[in-house]
Amino acid sequence: MITVKNLHKSFGKTEVLKGIDYHVEKGEKIVIIGPSGSGKSTFLRCLNLLETPTSGEIWFDGQKITDPKTNINKVREHMGMVFQNFNLFNNLTILENITLAPTKLGLMNKEEANETALGLLNRVNLTEKAGAYPSQLSGGQRQRIAIVRSLAMSPKVMLFDEPTSALDPEMVGEVLDVMKELAADGMTMVVVTHEMGFAREVASRVLFIDEGIIMEENTPEEFFGNPRNPRLKDFLSKVL
Amino acid sequence: MNEWFADISYKFQTAFIEGDRYKLYLSGLGVTLEVAFFAAILGVIIGIITALMKLSTRKNGKRPILSYIAQAYIDIIRGTPSVLQLLIMWFIVMKDSKNGILIAVLTFGINSGAYVAEIMRAGILAVDHGQMEAGRSLGLSKGQTMRYIILPQAIKNVLPPIGNEFIVLLKETAIVGYVSLSDLTRTASQVSSRTFEAFMPLIGAAVIYFVIIKILSKLIEMLERRLRKGDHR
Repeated sequence: MITVKNLHKSFGKTEVLKGIDYHVEKGEKIVIIGPSGSGKSTFLRCLNLLETPTSGEIWFDGQKITDPKTNINKVREHMGMVFQNFNLFNNLTILENITLAPTKLGLMNKEEANETALGLLNRVNLTEKAGAYPSQLSGGQRQRIAIVRSLAMSPKVMLFDEPTSALDPEMVGEVLDVMKELAADGMTMVVVTHEMGFAREVASRVLFIDEGIIMEENTPEEFFGNPRNPRLKDFLSKVL
Repeated sequence: MNEWFADISYKFQTAFIEGDRYKLYLSGLGVTLEVAFFAAILGVIIGIITALMKLSTRKNGKRPILSYIAQAYIDIIRGTPSVLQLLIMWFIVMKDSKNGILIAVLTFGINSGAYVAEIMRAGILAVDHGQMEAGRSLGLSKGQTMRYIILPQAIKNVLPPIGNEFIVLLKETAIVGYVSLSDLTRTASQVSSRTFEAFMPLIGAAVIYFVIIKILSKLIEMLERRLRKGDHR
């Protein structure tokens, strides 16, 4: 579903990604871990071109999205993204947050969008917040809304950029539960996270990115049970 | 005491009542408000467009020509006195037009636009960049995200300085006398030169400006409070 070929990304003179090759199959749940500054978030943000790669190719659903002629807005309709800081639209109610993109992009009319949104809100038990503004919600509630906002577009893949890192500890669980449900429903997911428990439980493959390259890649059992790369061993010894 | 009171009331009589002079002030106020109102609308439109032009980027991250045009416009307007801009408009750019109101509206609109542009730019930059990223990640274009997400938040951010700009604009229109428009200020000075009495017309005009601006700032305050509803940040 997603193929990355020799991806490089530099910010000015700093090379953050130094040649990444990877392939994500439909239905896979890829969890990416790594120390801060390793390039893992940059890698994720390249997948929907929020960051423009310096060189290399990214293919999504048989389409080369790094081609300048590709209509990236159309591609992004099929790639949901959840951010560390939620990024709910502050000027809109929860319901409007969810219905804005589907209606403005002409995918649904107002009634359909409202119906879809209420259905999704029900799924995360936040129906009563439909008329509230983001500032009136807790962090965990905001992140669940952010997930639901992406789902309203019926994406083929969901990208998560440290979705629980900005949350108070007691709210991490409610967000991970939604993500686990999503995984169980068969959604293709790429998740950058520090939640090792989530990686162990949900991931089909775990990636360790450091210094701009994929240093190790394996099933969660092998990855955590039998790490080979010395940097990964060192990293795991610090976080586990 | 009685004498003093009689004197004041006589001056008031000549400044406002005699020959229905209050009508002159009213029509002067009408000119002031008309020019300020339409110039404010024009200024906001020009300001938003200019701010967007100045903030625009090309795909390779470089500044596009539009951005330089916006910067040049802002520099020229801010770098020259508004009285001169008015005279240039009147005697050079639109010298064949007899429509003083139109010339004044254009001059003040174009002038205010430069200041509004910088206010709007600051307001847009103050909106968290994550809002744009979230909009784009859902498939919305840059323009759509700007229109539905960024600008509404930016406008809320800039209401206080924009209100300030409207007040400055309203008072700045007092220079339209230079191109023989009879606004409130010119009316007051004309009346005083006819009655040989400066106190009442000038203080009277000042009071009228003060009251109008007090009302205007109250309205802006009310708007601000309404837009902040549901905003518990």
